[in-house]
Amino acid sequence: MVDYKLEFWDKILPRVQKPTRYLGNEVNAVAKDLSRCLLKVALAFPDLYEVGMSHLGLKILYSLINDHEQWAAERVFMPDSDLEAILQNEAFPLCSLETVTPLAAFDLLGFTLQYELSYATILQMLRLGGISLLALSRGEEEPLVVGGGPGAFNPEPLADFFDFFMLGDAEETLPQVLSFLEQNRHLSRAEKLRSLSRIAGVYVPSLYIPDFDQHGSFLGTTPLHANLPRQIQRAVVEDLDAAVYPEKFVVPYGSIVHDRLVLELFRGCTRGCRFCQAGIIYRPLRERTPAKLKVLAKELVRTSGYDELALSSLSSGDYSAIGQLVTELGMELAKEGVALSLPSLRLDSFSSQLAEQVKQVRKSGLTFAPEAGTQRLRDVINKNISETDLISAATDAFAAGWTGIKLYFMIGLPTETDEDLEGITALVRKVTLAYKQAGCRGKPRVTVSVSVFVPKAHTPFQWAGLIGRDEILRRQNVLRQSLRATGAQFKWHGVEPSLLEAALARGGRELCAVIARAAELGCKLDGWDEHFSFENWQQAFRDNGLELAELAVRQYALDDPLPWDHLASGVTKSFLQKEYELALAAKVSRDCRENCLGCGMSLLLEGKNGKEGKGACHDARLD
Amino acid sequence: MMRVWIKFAKESPMRFLSHLDLMRVWQRAVRRAELPVAYSAGFNRHPKISFASALAVGVTSAGEYLDIQFTKLLDEAAFVRLAETLPQGLKLLDWRQIPEGTPALMSLVCAAQWELPLQADECRHLQQAVSELLSASSLPVEREGKKGIKTVDIRPLIYSLAADEKESCLRMLLASGGEGVVRPVEVLKLLCLPDVAGRLRRTELYVASGQCFFEPMAVLLN
Repeated sequence: MVDYKLEFWDKILPRVQKPTRYLGNEVNAVAKDLSRCLLKVALAFPDLYEVGMSHLGLKILYSLINDHEQWAAERVFMPDSDLEAILQNEAFPLCSLETVTPLAAFDLLGFTLQYELSYATILQMLRLGGISLLALSRGEEEPLVVGGGPGAFNPEPLADFFDFFMLGDAEETLPQVLSFLEQNRHLSRAEKLRSLSRIAGVYVPSLYIPDFDQHGSFLGTTPLHANLPRQIQRAVVEDLDAAVYPEKFVVPYGSIVHDRLVLELFRGCTRGCRFCQAGIIYRPLRERTPAKLKVLAKELVRTSGYDELALSSLSSGDYSAIGQLVTELGMELAKEGVALSLPSLRLDSFSSQLAEQVKQVRKSGLTFAPEAGTQRLRDVINKNISETDLISAATDAFAAGWTGIKLYFMIGLPTETDEDLEGITALVRKVTLAYKQAGCRGKPRVTVSVSVFVPKAHTPFQWAGLIGRDEILRRQNVLRQSLRATGAQFKWHGVEPSLLEAALARGGRELCAVIARAAELGCKLDGWDEHFSFENWQQAFRDNGLELAELAVRQYALDDPLPWDHLASGVTKSFLQKEYELALAAKVSRDCRENCLGCGMSLLLEGKNGKEGKGACHDARLD
Repeated sequence: MMRVWIKFAKESPMRFLSHLDLMRVWQRAVRRAELPVAYSAGFNRHPKISFASALAVGVTSAGEYLDIQFTKLLDEAAFVRLAETLPQGLKLLDWRQIPEGTPALMSLVCAAQWELPLQADECRHLQQAVSELLSASSLPVEREGKKGIKTVDIRPLIYSLAADEKESCLRMLLASGGEGVVRPVEVLKLLCLPDVAGRLRRTELYVASGQCFFEPMAVLLN
């Protein structure tokens, strides 16, 4: 038998650029004797170590599995080009970090689907791991390949490569899946998959087929057997305090993207921004209690040696006890020299008091996201933030000592006109003025970061298309010209990655062949400029008779069947449709903590635990 | 206040850690062990931890040193805690308290002992080359610096060199600080052993006291 570990550490690692990414063996990494484990899971993040190790979901699942004595979870990331070439040339398989075990030796190989630009990388990792790319051609000895995360809400572009997907909170689904697999090792792949499809939140794509009419128009995706659900419901963890949270973070050697502890305050968001997929697929709002958070914080600091802890959520200012938590936790942590950071603050929840508290320990960068330049457009997207909110937040921040501020906007939102672009410049001017009004001398550093709006499945904007290449370039240019006089720094996202993201985000199974072809052409790590090749992607689309740019701008009619209609987030299509219509009329919807909008989530919870009627999800939170 | 020298080993897999990575590992280990490390004053505060000598990535060592300052007196139990929280491949071997005002260990180190494990026959073949090298009156080597190529005579900086047949290894005591620096690979190149750098191991660092070399843990300080 090959000693992969010896071979890898002694013969391969000395030849790579950043060996610490592939070393495993970090403090708090869990390396079990796999021969004594009943179930071996490889948790794969289809990007470099530095990115994957910054992801909270991976840490949660790592703990969840490894907490079970006879289950083992090991990590694997995409190798950079130097190691990839060595593995390929020397036919050395891609291995897990912990025990340097080839991917093919695991029972289950899980990929997180965080962003579309990582899809080709998944195929590269399967290839490097020596695992058959197509689920249907995998042998009995090969691992089951599962995907989860936001991408699982429209996984059709990856349907051919995955044995199954898990929709929603894996804390709920994964233990059931693993228990089943542990007890049913003798079953064939097909039998396992059929049984797994009965677990709530599990979607087995080979058991569903897309239907087309005689003209080739898509009619919807339907189950192969009558006893399968027509719609797969997302799994929901109701009590986050009781859910697994890692008490020990694996501590990397080299520096990673988010090199700090992370504490998840809550999941879900009640604001209802119409462009935001996370705001839909993580409903309802579920908080951890301050008591639980404090215990976790203390344990995380003690076991890791980190000196920074970030409070994380979709909108941390919305945490019901945010002021109290920041004060108390901040004081406790400061004693130990640990800085508390608070990313993801909505600017209307930013207060001078909060600003002071966060600043006490360390002044991190401050980013606000008005998203759009005019009130009209902010109403369209239901951002529910006013110019007054922004100016007062900026004034508070400047008064508290910040000298720079980053403003985040999107261009290409539905109904956007050049007037909205001018609105961005006008806002920047007012923010600069606020610096003087806060009694500061000179000029603040204002950075305007502009990305391109990419419509996503399961959002009110899922029917809209991307605005298209020429129009993106034109609007970026308009903005660049108009911002010039303000002295603000202008940062924008590349057009081509956005086009690809848009083409993949709302596609169907026809894209499987495209992604396979792109991987063949060498596409990988597409989130990185140095690896991204738009030409190869265009060719991959063309080789399959499709045009990337056309798919990116494709609009769906409100009554079109959508490739993700058979996957339910809990929010109904009719609600999304109503929100889309309100958007086009520039009408806002209120925060659903104030008034239940009937999105459908309460129905999902009702089915689960008998809570009734409108607002049930909010009431459930108060219990 | 308490100032301490710590002796540690850096074994595989930790040999892949860069200087910066290793510093981070120690900083975090000290925090996990809840030891009250002293911080520098000023805007960019950093913990007062420094290494005696940098070690190239990929090389193992049985004799690395750390100079740390704490704000309180610590007992043996504290260092046991620290030893236990180190990742696999880092071993705390010894520690000693040193007087305040002792110069930084980095500035005291003047020589390093290196070993290269060899096959028995390799070792025999080397004897000739070693004695030729030692009998040379000068050994000029070229080094690329910022100002271009410079020639340095390393003969006086090779304090001892021997191919030990009994233990099958090449042993070198080379200047490292003080009078100058010899990189072990420079000697290996002169011995026509270019491709073995991955097997190199540093075994000890020395500080000078009078005419003698001492291990840092044994030298008298006042």
